[in-house]
Amino acid sequence: MSGADGPLAGRTAIVTGAGQGVGRGIARALARRGAAVVLAARRAETGEPAAAEIRADGGEASCIVTDVTRRDSVEHCVAATVEQNGGLDIMVHNAFQGGRAHRLEDVDDDLWATNSRTAVWGSYFSAQLASPHLRRAGTRGRLLLITSPAGVEGSANIPIYGPVKAAQRALAKSLAREWGAHGTTVNCLAPVAETPALTGAFAHNPVLKERLEARTALRRIGDAERDIGSVAAFLASDDGGYVTGQTIVCDGGSFMGL
Amino acid sequence: MGALAGTVAIVTGADQPLGRGLALALAESGAHLGLIGAALALAEITADVEARGHRAVAVNAAITDRGALERAFATAADELDAPVRAVLHAAMTPIAYEARDFEDVDDDRFQAVWEHTMRAAIAVLQASFTTLRGDGGRIVVVTPTVAMSGAPRLAPYAMALEGQRLLAKSAARQWGADGIVVNCLAPAPDLVPIGVRSVDMSLAASALGGPGDPETDLGPVATFLASAAAHYVSGVTVCVDGGVWMAP
Repeated sequence: MSGADGPLAGRTAIVTGAGQGVGRGIARALARRGAAVVLAARRAETGEPAAAEIRADGGEASCIVTDVTRRDSVEHCVAATVEQNGGLDIMVHNAFQGGRAHRLEDVDDDLWATNSRTAVWGSYFSAQLASPHLRRAGTRGRLLLITSPAGVEGSANIPIYGPVKAAQRALAKSLAREWGAHGTTVNCLAPVAETPALTGAFAHNPVLKERLEARTALRRIGDAERDIGSVAAFLASDDGGYVTGQTIVCDGGSFMGL
Repeated sequence: MGALAGTVAIVTGADQPLGRGLALALAESGAHLGLIGAALALAEITADVEARGHRAVAVNAAITDRGALERAFATAADELDAPVRAVLHAAMTPIAYEARDFEDVDDDRFQAVWEHTMRAAIAVLQASFTTLRGDGGRIVVVTPTVAMSGAPRLAPYAMALEGQRLLAKSAARQWGADGIVVNCLAPAPDLVPIGVRSVDMSLAASALGGPGDPETDLGPVATFLASAAAHYVSGVTVCVDGGVWMAP
């Protein structure tokens, strides 16, 4: 992994929820293209090894333990990143917790709060605390929120997941309009990829993988780094600089309703 | 006989002009109205409905309290002596309409707009489920097109609207088996008191002229979505903005 001449060389990125899954894949993809990446992970046990892997591959990465549901924690992550790297160009909010199956009529305060705090409050804190730094980055400033096809089509299995992922899309559209004059772009990525969560779901329900692959045009589940991270890297690069307010669905061709 | 004759329609947010116009349209189609909110705030519309020869009661319940809402729905059905068949959720906290740079939104404001609106929508939908299940229920959630367009300086409002729109879609998917259809009605943003003009957010002017009258232009669509005729329409957003927002 040598990104010294890459499209993101000289840029600093924070990726929340980067200890595993999609966040880890995005962090790796950004680093491979030259970005200095801060892996904001809830647990050092996942975040530190993921950062070490990137460094072992020749990339620049560190881990800052971050709880995206708390303003002070995100504030610390952003401040430490800026102090360490001299700025922040790319903020990626990916962390999410709360995907277990439920009935909407049974949703209680706890289930709602878990979903809302990580997806929505986490987006709010990430966007707001990164904002002055993204503005200083000028036309290199990027905010990327990781949402889901369920944020567009709703979900019969995890109904609360739809609204919290949809709110991220509305935030991206609103901030794209509000921040466009500064050169900052704001987008969403809606991936389907091999993650520990999905692997767990497959183990629980073996036919799920078959069903998911069958309805996917490309007949395979995405790889977090190669298939999802590469699209995040495009949006983060100068090449993606005229794309803003959009959701790119990155699921191998399953949801096509946009 | 109107399309909603002999039934009760619950309406939230009828103390605001948009909700008021939609409620009047439902009443003109024969529905008895159970209006959620303080009697004082709803006195004017209750009097208007009665002056037109229809029936309405104001039933007070905290809009984030599912149990209180369920009791309020039951009270409305008792007092109006008819079954609840439709719930139209149009309530929105007035704080949501205040434009702010995103950097200036504080946690109290975000709590009041995003968190309160979503907790209210969940409670209203859950109470609706309890009341309507198995009986051909209709739920209509009012989500101005700001939900889909986004809006500068109004991010928490747009988020709360789009969150509600997707809550309706998820509810539509889960509760179809219980005979409940759930849809959204999307008016032009000029019908709500936000500080940003819709022209800032849309590609085109209104094809039919805008923004439309809540009762006479939007009301017939709300009535359709609340009626038996909508039995095979679920999870959709009907934009009733005179032809502005045409995506996808």
